[in-house]
Amino acid sequence: MKPPAFRYLAPRSLEEALALRAEHAGDSAVLAGGQSLMPLLNLRMAFPGTLIDVGHVNELVGIREWDGGVAIGAMTRQRAAERSTLIDERAPLVAKALPNIGHPAIRNRGTVGGSIAHADPAAELPAVALALDAELVAASSSGERTIRASDFFAGYLTTSLAPDELLVEIRLPGLAAGHGSAFVELARRHGDFALVGVGAAVALDDAGAIADARLVFIGVAGAPVRAHAAEALLRGAMPTDEAYAEAAELAKDAIDPGSDAHASGAYRRRVAGVLAQRALREATP
Amino acid sequence: MSAPAAARFVGTSVRRVEDDRILSGRGRYIDDIRLPNMLHGVFLRSGIAHGRLTAVHADAARGLDGVAAIITAVELEGVAHPLSTRPDVPDVARPVFTALASDRVRYVGDPIALILAETRHQAEDARDAIIVDYEPLETVASIEQAEDPARPSLFDDTDSNLLYTEATDYGDPDAAFAGARVVRASFAPQRVAHVPMECRGGVADHHPGTGELVYYATTQSPHALKLGLSGVLSQPAEKLRVITPDVGGAFGQKAMLNREDIVVCAASKLAGRPVKWVEDRIENMTAATHARSETVEIAAAVDDDGAILALDVNLKIDVGAYPALPFPPSFLGPIVRTMVTGPYRIEHLRWANTVFQTNKASYGTYRGPWAVESLVREVLVDRIAHELGLDPVEVRRRNLVRMDEQPRKMATGPTLEGVMALETLERAAELIDQDAFRREQIEARAHGKLLGLGFATYIEPAPGPPDFMASVGMQLPDERAVARLEIDGHLTVITAQAPHGQSHETTLAQIAATEFGVPLEHVRVVHGDTQQTPFSLIGTGGSRAATMASGAALHATRAVKGKVLEMAGDMLEISPGDLEIVDAVVMPKGDAERGIPLAQIAMAAYFMGREGEDDGLRSSATYQQPPGGWSGGTHACIVEVDPQTGVVEIRRYVVVEDCGELIHPAVVEGQIRGGIAQGIGIALLENALYDEEANFLAGTFMDYLVPTSMEIPSIEIEHLHSEALAEVNYRGVGEGGTIAAPPVLVNAVADALGGASIGVLPMTPEYVLALVDEAGV
Amino acid sequence: MSVEVSLTVNGVERSAAVEERRTLADFLREELGLTGTHLGCEHGICGSCTVIVDGVSARSCLMLAVQADGAEVTTIEGLLEDGELGVLQQACRDSHAFQCGYCTPGFLMTATELLVENPKPSESEVREAISGNLCRCTGYESIVQAILLASERGA
Repeated sequence: MKPPAFRYLAPRSLEEALALRAEHAGDSAVLAGGQSLMPLLNLRMAFPGTLIDVGHVNELVGIREWDGGVAIGAMTRQRAAERSTLIDERAPLVAKALPNIGHPAIRNRGTVGGSIAHADPAAELPAVALALDAELVAASSSGERTIRASDFFAGYLTTSLAPDELLVEIRLPGLAAGHGSAFVELARRHGDFALVGVGAAVALDDAGAIADARLVFIGVAGAPVRAHAAEALLRGAMPTDEAYAEAAELAKDAIDPGSDAHASGAYRRRVAGVLAQRALREATP
Repeated sequence: MSAPAAARFVGTSVRRVEDDRILSGRGRYIDDIRLPNMLHGVFLRSGIAHGRLTAVHADAARGLDGVAAIITAVELEGVAHPLSTRPDVPDVARPVFTALASDRVRYVGDPIALILAETRHQAEDARDAIIVDYEPLETVASIEQAEDPARPSLFDDTDSNLLYTEATDYGDPDAAFAGARVVRASFAPQRVAHVPMECRGGVADHHPGTGELVYYATTQSPHALKLGLSGVLSQPAEKLRVITPDVGGAFGQKAMLNREDIVVCAASKLAGRPVKWVEDRIENMTAATHARSETVEIAAAVDDDGAILALDVNLKIDVGAYPALPFPPSFLGPIVRTMVTGPYRIEHLRWANTVFQTNKASYGTYRGPWAVESLVREVLVDRIAHELGLDPVEVRRRNLVRMDEQPRKMATGPTLEGVMALETLERAAELIDQDAFRREQIEARAHGKLLGLGFATYIEPAPGPPDFMASVGMQLPDERAVARLEIDGHLTVITAQAPHGQSHETTLAQIAATEFGVPLEHVRVVHGDTQQTPFSLIGTGGSRAATMASGAALHATRAVKGKVLEMAGDMLEISPGDLEIVDAVVMPKGDAERGIPLAQIAMAAYFMGREGEDDGLRSSATYQQPPGGWSGGTHACIVEVDPQTGVVEIRRYVVVEDCGELIHPAVVEGQIRGGIAQGIGIALLENALYDEEANFLAGTFMDYLVPTSMEIPSIEIEHLHSEALAEVNYRGVGEGGTIAAPPVLVNAVADALGGASIGVLPMTPEYVLALVDEAGV
Repeated sequence: MSVEVSLTVNGVERSAAVEERRTLADFLREELGLTGTHLGCEHGICGSCTVIVDGVSARSCLMLAVQADGAEVTTIEGLLEDGELGVLQQACRDSHAFQCGYCTPGFLMTATELLVENPKPSESEVREAISGNLCRCTGYESIVQAILLASERGA
């Protein structure tokens, strides 16, 4: 199948990109890595009047230190993020999540910002952004604003970005050294979108109790779900199997996954609980 | 004085002829074919499963840039005849339909129009501009619904959705079942799709001046395709040529006379220009054929020692909305019926088969089309073992026909001969080390780990004994081949085969070069062009090539060799019986000094001719089905089931099989591994799923899950070799993997769960988790 | 609408005017006549269309030709060395890696990238690296062995 016709624009600067986005707000799609958009175009499931290719906007590429954490330009390729020692040190949950995304060829082209802006509920990076309390920087021709991750993911393939906005940077507050991380998924085949997945990070205090716990789910709702109640339960508790089982139960109560051809909601919920325990155990330093 | 031994190429994994072009990107597949002035065609297909087609509004589309024509059933009238199952097929309903939907659409994907444009993009743009009016009708989305007289018949000229029914008894099943213990199983496996990596396509080139039609087609049956097109298009056979380029896999899907083929050829006629059609993956998943859409109930009468006295089998098949021509709806049942007792000593069979049409894609032959017989039989054997508290290997041991009992007629007709099923079972059990495994299984269970071991024993007709065809009600001409000495002393072998991955360009060259006495590089195998190749209904399929094509090539080559030796005998004044050909030189045996290069003989043959010969030296030969002809084996595998998620992982997979001698060991192994990979897909991953309204849900690779390198283990393969029963002891091996893998995996998972009753495929993690719960493990 | 695209393909500079919506895969196959790159799904899953763009593998059905402007692209045709099969291709030939050949271009380009990044991969690393390429004929074992052989031979 071949894509439908569209007007193709390739801005060379962020300013130009934002001007075009404003001009074509409502009838434009942004081409970043293309790994999600191109299949939709090839299958004629999307008919944008204008395609804005931000592949030449170099200001959007880069990984830098930010406030003890790390800031990732939206057009940074997932493969570059996978190889970044800065990300490995300051946001290891990202490093754990990235290899689960498809296959190398997809990560060579796919971008960090693209995945987050696409907001597929089974995608890893939106969940990691949520788990790490990321700040998403959105720009338009009228200026910049910062959106908290908890306010960013609005539902299935929907974010709170306005039609004239571009996601430009993903800012991840650093996790204190000593956090362990894990990303555990159940997919039908290696590299597939997860039926359900869990990202977890755990830090222990000097007494060996849990100082901080992050727990996020994918594939259980229209957007990634952070298990706040489970995290609260874990804080201060000893990192035992029983504690993790209890936390998993609490987390399961907070989700109501839907069913599709691949799995029922009941199955997803049950496995979410199983994977939560496995992820927490693996993330325990 | 001793002569250099004639080089023997058979039995070695020689370099493949095909690899030079395949590895360098110089293959020529259908989408690589470009003809001057060619139009691109795309099909508009039904988006609903069942409805009256009331209008196709194509005017706006016709006016778009680059659009040359839009062809519907209206334009096809008078150019392409209506279609139905052949009139000589008995007892089957034969509704009439057209290549493009005319009054009704009957499945999602039913082709409605062909849009022709200068570019593919323009054709798709025009397609988007066409509006179709339907009056939806109630759908028939399952066998159950097809059985329901309250549901509409799919065709005005049939009053129900029942197409065919048969019931037969072999032996005396009533007596055998009377008072016996009965063990049952039932299976409702999923529809699967063939998924060759290359989709279907064709380039039709009709010459307005001469009326000749050349059709480049991705087909595995070029002559059958030509025959079908000739009839439907009233195209004289001498003006119709089908040419098969490189084909990127088929697995049986490309053995059909596709409605699309008819439309594309008609379109070329109407447009006066070449027309190219290559379907995309969505079309291939949705509208090309599916397979394995059958449900089975099976019961065995057994005695307390596990001897299987009789089987009672009830098979229901859903063949979709249209027959996959040229195969009639009654095609599959008789093969399953004939094969269901397999290599076992089962004398009594009660058989019932009903075939239905539904609002789904057509049922097409798929690698081991009759495989459901091994699925249900092997699962039943393990069920018998479980219910009687016996070891599944022991139950098989007690029931498999031994070599010393052969030749032995199956209850259903064909003769078992040279079948080493029992030997393969014993060896597989040895390799997998049952005893050690059972200890490991118990230990693992204690730690909450679920391991399971399964076996499956099968035979496949590859090509089967001479009485196989009669038993299944088919008649196939003997396989033919032609060998031709070229003017430079090289050899061309022309085969009726139409390979699509089977490496026939190599294997037949190995046979011919060995027989003839020339280097392998001096032999070229020609295939796929109906103007050159001998007639065959099948082309490549049914695991016949190893025996039949090899035998025909061997005999044709031998005949040409005989003529060469006669000529050389005249020239050397030596009896031909005292001559041999070694490394392209014809010589008195053992005396290279007095040899004549083959090239010299060839030149003489071409220039001077020989009485009774066409130019050069050329012979054709047929090869008849020899006795024996069974391949088969035993698969054994160990799985681990995650008791918390239901995920199944294959820990070890062992195959012991017998397909006679191996022409090219690597080719044989490749066929086995590839077949098993498809079987694993069937068992665990694949599902050509429809919803309750017959909407198709698996149109992309995101929903239809083909196994990747991570899902297929390293399979251990051992070959046994039964003694030759015929001159040609190579037998087919292509389908066994796909046949045996699903039951071996079902049995292994069932064993992991302490003998669970599994009746559904694929065994998704969710399904398996429910079984874990039920089993209480 | 059409746009000028210039890029280096298999070491040769090529340019053409193409429709903006033309994918890189179609551009290679149609405009440049390099039909070695194959289309198996056009939605980025089967991997048959894999090529190398600026040193890394990419699914050419998921790129627009215009996105490859200025890039260096290598296709299966570019693996030949002086018209002969390169080390990886020879290893595939000697291991009888493939059958119908349709998936072959994608696997070769993926393997090429792997062996540059990881010249001595383990068997499981090879299996994982090729897990984004679908093959329906072989069951993958022969392909894995071929890549290991290529690595042994210093591909």
